[in-house]
Amino acid sequence: MAGLTRTAGAFAVTPHKISVCILLQIYAPSAQMSLPFPFSSVSQHNRLGLYLLSLTKSCDDIFEPKLEELINQLRDVGEEMDAWLTDHLTNRFSSLASPDDLLNFFNDMRGILGSPDSGVVQDDQIILDPNSNLGMFVRRCILAFNLLSFEGVCHLFSSIEDYCKEAHSSSAQFDGSNNDLESLTHYDQMDMEIYAIDKATEELELQKNASGSVPFHLHTPEAIFKVIEGITSGLRVSPKESSRTRKKITEATLVSSASSSTVEDTLVDESLFLRTNLQIQGFLMEQADAIETHRSSSSFSSSSIESFLEQLQNLAPELHRVHFLRYLNKLHSDDYFAALDNLLRYFDYSAGTEGFDLVAPSADCSMYGRYEIGLLCLGMMHFRFGHPNLALEVLTEAVRVSQQLSNDTCLAYTLAAMSNLLSEMGIASASSVLGSSYSPVTSTASSLSVQQRVYILLKESLRRADSLKLRRLVASNHLAMAKFELMHVQRPLLSFGPKASMRHKTCPVSVCKEIRLGAHLISDFSSESSTMTVDGSLSSAWLKDLQKPWGPPVVSQDSGSRKSSTFFKLCDHSVSIPGSVSQLIGASYLLRATSWEFYGSAPMARMNTLVYATLFGDSSSSSDAELAYLKLIQHLALYKGHKDAFAALKIAEEKFLTVSKSKILLLKLQLLHERALHCGNLKLAQRMCNELGGLASTAMGVDMELKVEASLREARILLAAKQYSQAANVGHSLFCTCHKFNLQIEKASVLLLLAEIHKKSGNSVLGLPYALASISFCQSFNLDLLRASATLTLAELWLGLGSNHAKRALDLLHGAFPMILGHGGLELRARAYIFEANCYLSDPSFSVSTDSDTVLDSLRQASDELESLEYHELAAEASYLMAMVYDKLGRVEEREEAASLFKKHIIALENPQDVEQNMA
Amino acid sequence: MVSKESCRNEIRAAIRQLSDRCLYSAAKWAGEQLVGIEQDPSNFTPSNTRFQRGSSSIRRRFSTNESISTPQPSVGFSQAATPLPEEDETIDGDLYLLAKSYFDCREYRRASHVLRDQTSKKSVFLHFYALYLAGEKRKEEEMIELEGPLGKSDAINRELVSLERDLSALRRTGAIDSFGLYLYGVVLKEKGNETLAIASLVESVNSYPWNWSAWSELQSLCTSIETLDRLNLNNHWMKDFFLGYAYQELRMHTESLAKYDYLQGIFSFSNYIQAQTAKAQYSLREFDQVEIMFEELLRNDPYRVEDMDLYSNVLYAKEACAALSYLAHKVFLTDKYRPESCCIIGNYYSLKGQHEKAVMYFRRALKLSKKYLSAWTLMGHEYVEMKNTPAAIDAYRRAVDINPSDYRAWYGLGQAYEMMGMPFYALHYFRKSIFFLPNDSRLWIAMAKCYQTEQLYMLEEAIKCYKRAVNCTDTEGIALNQLAKLHQKLGRNEEAAFYFEKDLERMDAEGLEGPNMFEALVFLATHFKNHKKFEEAEVYCTRLLDYSGPEKEKAKSLLRGIRMAQTGFPSMDLEHFPI
Repeated sequence: MAGLTRTAGAFAVTPHKISVCILLQIYAPSAQMSLPFPFSSVSQHNRLGLYLLSLTKSCDDIFEPKLEELINQLRDVGEEMDAWLTDHLTNRFSSLASPDDLLNFFNDMRGILGSPDSGVVQDDQIILDPNSNLGMFVRRCILAFNLLSFEGVCHLFSSIEDYCKEAHSSSAQFDGSNNDLESLTHYDQMDMEIYAIDKATEELELQKNASGSVPFHLHTPEAIFKVIEGITSGLRVSPKESSRTRKKITEATLVSSASSSTVEDTLVDESLFLRTNLQIQGFLMEQADAIETHRSSSSFSSSSIESFLEQLQNLAPELHRVHFLRYLNKLHSDDYFAALDNLLRYFDYSAGTEGFDLVAPSADCSMYGRYEIGLLCLGMMHFRFGHPNLALEVLTEAVRVSQQLSNDTCLAYTLAAMSNLLSEMGIASASSVLGSSYSPVTSTASSLSVQQRVYILLKESLRRADSLKLRRLVASNHLAMAKFELMHVQRPLLSFGPKASMRHKTCPVSVCKEIRLGAHLISDFSSESSTMTVDGSLSSAWLKDLQKPWGPPVVSQDSGSRKSSTFFKLCDHSVSIPGSVSQLIGASYLLRATSWEFYGSAPMARMNTLVYATLFGDSSSSSDAELAYLKLIQHLALYKGHKDAFAALKIAEEKFLTVSKSKILLLKLQLLHERALHCGNLKLAQRMCNELGGLASTAMGVDMELKVEASLREARILLAAKQYSQAANVGHSLFCTCHKFNLQIEKASVLLLLAEIHKKSGNSVLGLPYALASISFCQSFNLDLLRASATLTLAELWLGLGSNHAKRALDLLHGAFPMILGHGGLELRARAYIFEANCYLSDPSFSVSTDSDTVLDSLRQASDELESLEYHELAAEASYLMAMVYDKLGRVEEREEAASLFKKHIIALENPQDVEQNMA
Repeated sequence: MVSKESCRNEIRAAIRQLSDRCLYSAAKWAGEQLVGIEQDPSNFTPSNTRFQRGSSSIRRRFSTNESISTPQPSVGFSQAATPLPEEDETIDGDLYLLAKSYFDCREYRRASHVLRDQTSKKSVFLHFYALYLAGEKRKEEEMIELEGPLGKSDAINRELVSLERDLSALRRTGAIDSFGLYLYGVVLKEKGNETLAIASLVESVNSYPWNWSAWSELQSLCTSIETLDRLNLNNHWMKDFFLGYAYQELRMHTESLAKYDYLQGIFSFSNYIQAQTAKAQYSLREFDQVEIMFEELLRNDPYRVEDMDLYSNVLYAKEACAALSYLAHKVFLTDKYRPESCCIIGNYYSLKGQHEKAVMYFRRALKLSKKYLSAWTLMGHEYVEMKNTPAAIDAYRRAVDINPSDYRAWYGLGQAYEMMGMPFYALHYFRKSIFFLPNDSRLWIAMAKCYQTEQLYMLEEAIKCYKRAVNCTDTEGIALNQLAKLHQKLGRNEEAAFYFEKDLERMDAEGLEGPNMFEALVFLATHFKNHKKFEEAEVYCTRLLDYSGPEKEKAKSLLRGIRMAQTGFPSMDLEHFPI
């Protein structure tokens, strides 16, 4: 079909259109009074009319249906008379034996049109109003045919031959089955009132207008609108849907097609296109969406898309967007060179003007092209392929060029991309890069730390996006801001720009505000989706990168959850919001979960993660989904013990094996480490810790957070091995590192660790200031859970000073209890219970015999929880205390039971080998 | 060495056979070579020498060249002496004669139809060949019918399928001759089956080496030196023609020149060899020599249009307006509907600064031949001149997509992006162009300039590029000067002095003067003075004294300072005293 004539602008006569014309002739034969021959009823007649109307509406589709498909549809529409219709159609085609017949055919077509002065229509006459939809179609066909040169007519003629030949083989098979239907046509309803044809169409139009988005041809077989050639899902062209697909892909591909009106404008004058129309653009966008969402699933083959695109490119060399799709495809199949090649080719050909309708096409930039967008894309591509330095250089250039051309939209996106890049690259590697680069934005801030730069970039981007009303960018910027606020807390910004006094407070409120702002804008946007096309064009690429970030830094250990993998499967969501928006919302939930986790509410964190996993699981990127899995597994480990966590981890490993193992690997190491520590297998713990440290220093740079975490764990191992002075040394140097790199949260936990070390070494007085400092840190950063556990440590320290402080310790503990019991993990809770028992027992005013239940309850709780945690050390302590209490009470049997439990735990602690085996 | 007489006999027979099969361009080519063979003095007749230059001015002028290149007797010429195939029918069939006359009247389908049931090899070949050409003709027409302006088309030769089927059947039965193999190769190539096409063409040229069309098809398939080396070709003097051509297309110009030099021993008067030599020299940027060669060529063959676009490029580069317009006029009268002619006219307008008109003619050239690569590139240049960068980029990109190794187009792309203030983006394109032509100093300099732009300001990289440029014998002398300046800027005075000295040497050798000279002298004088090397400093100062202007005053004060320092006065910077 491809080689058909396309001389007269966008509209060319094709065999399919001739079929439609033939059907139209049946529908409205010239000089026919009343209902024409084959129709048995007016409703039947109208049915065909509606069908024809939808055919003419869809005739601008890229792929026209083959004759065979048309006949199939006719069978559905025509009911009893379909055989007649089919026969007539094929006969008519076979009667076209020479080009002259074509000429005559179109002459005849002219006859079915009414005369222009339609005032004198008789009552019962069927006349095709030249100004109706069908009439217009006929006129366009006639005009297009008249414009054809003789060569064109010859081509049309030969393509008709092909068209019929294709259908020939298949049509034979249902000829036989249907020939009896002809007899069923009867005329008993001839006396029905006669309709003027356009009345029907008028009604239809009215109905369409009234019902707004109701697709006006719901009754037609949907096959009609399917894109043939077996590629992905059908692309129906109901106004609502088509606008949706267009919109969806707008962000998916960066190829926004502006509002439909402008697209149609451009269609008219681009005569070079094979079939210049919305559908081909829409189709390409659909493809792009497919590339984006299915990139991780194995069922999606990039080579099939590639071959299809190649074919398309041969057919329509001037359709440059194909190059972009090839780029996207290559990008997702990780083919650097081909991706680069196609990206450059796309921008060379299209000058960035095709598809990127960020501004009205009439804007002054048209002369220069929009190559800055090319730079932006190139930068993000480099980033994706792991060349952050190159990416930064390119983005810097993008900033400069968009400033030069005053393309604020692009600038906003570029700044956002840049800040994303900087925050991703981490602290250690970025400083060297920025030092060498020259840029108006970065150079002014050359004295600032990377975080400060990220902050400035984000602010700038947000400001621009806000003023340009780029909702999606605003939303994602808010999210990034929230993330930033969450991670970089209360840094003194003494040398900060012109406004030196500006201080940078961080509290949950502002994080929450940012998240809410982000989500709010998105919901805004999804409600008025029709106007968004201009907005969000670039955000998907932006989003693509946004998805990756939420990394390990904010993953804290003390929260837990219960999880089952079925949660991930039950998402049947048929929301009509575009994919990227739902991704963005999903990201906001994930971020919310992280912030809750961070501020110490495990249930809230779990809830948000679950919301994410259930609602956004299928639209999310694989890295986001992976993160959600990880969070849930962590919860599991903290609240259900390691056995469950490892089972879940196995599932997750299977699921994400192909994508990227690093995050999973990290979690596995963490879990193994904790478990080894609990079981007293220090050697294994040390090994895990070393591997963790190895992960921290990759080729791309040093991940400070991970490094700190590794040494924190090392200190814990030393502590468990009772090497107090060494542990303290590690803790001290760690604190210095944290201070140097502004890692405030880690500072708090390091302080807590130091307090812990002193407590364990029996030097409670030294431990007190550390514990207090940690508490004050937690207080200022609103780290409630950490604060609770610091309080617990403080109380323990007090008790360590002597039994006369038991009352005070108990008070402290009771103050922290709500937090610990409500949000803390198994270990923390167990510790609190044991400590409570300890306090009571050491309190001289407490008598075991009278109030034994208070103590025993706590201890029983503690040992239950520790059992599932396999924390032998604490469990041994609990059973010991229990045994003591029972001893006091004289309950010998129970005492023996507790004692044997104690013995069991002690033995397990001393012989960790067997534990290691079932772990591996 | 092959005897000239045997060559001549081979070619004579070949021309007859080729024309019998209507392989006219191959016959034409062979004919050119035939008269290109130097006549033996023995059968020297005035009528024979009509086409030969009695005295080739070129030969005399560049006699040095010839003496250098000693022919390599062992390489190509163990001469397996491919026997000329006997014609299989002595008397041509009547139908064949009819078909051939149809063919000559360009009624291909008719010719093919006449020969449909013939069995003689000649007729069979002509039958298929005519069919192929008929398909090609229809394809061309369809392209026009189906297509808008400029761009690909999906029109295909509809005969290819049946041709491939029939020819492969013939080949299986062994009833195919070397001409049939050639056609089979062509068909396979069009169908995209390159390896089979190469095999078929190699077989064809090995059994019948005189078919130049087969050789050139083979060349078009040798896109890399590896493919070329892998070919299993019999030795024949035609192979040297082929290798010369193939080397040239692979940008191995010196190797190609050597081949042509060798061939010139036999075909001393071949226009073809001369044009090819000129082409190679053009790529080596020996414009003066190329111009003389083309003048000579035109004198001997005044109505030649082939390769004249190259000549016009030379004239363009030398800004010879009058000569270019003369050439354009002449070519226009000879055949105005040749892409070369349009290109020449475009070049002329471009030189005159009428870029719109130039673009129009380049467009016309492209209409005449879609694959006419240089027109896209030249059009890109015009658009750059017209400051229409997007259009320029588009044009260059099309050139690159036709031939990815067109370094000029890559360079043009880089330039265009640099013009738009995107130097980092442009770097990629410069790198591409340098990849294809690593020995051109201009490309290195362009890249260095890119690094030097204030936006990037990556001076170290720029220095590296300039160094490469210097190594590639930078004729314009920009690199040395820039190297010196960059080093000066970076405070590396030793290196700067080194490069200034080198630059000075170069300028002395070429007898140039100018601000660069002053700059170098002033820097060197001050530099040596500061390092207490007064003698050197004095030398440079005295050289400066030869010129008037502020430099002279500067030199004077420097000299005074030197004297002062030499006589042991406490060092005082006298420069700051008013004199």
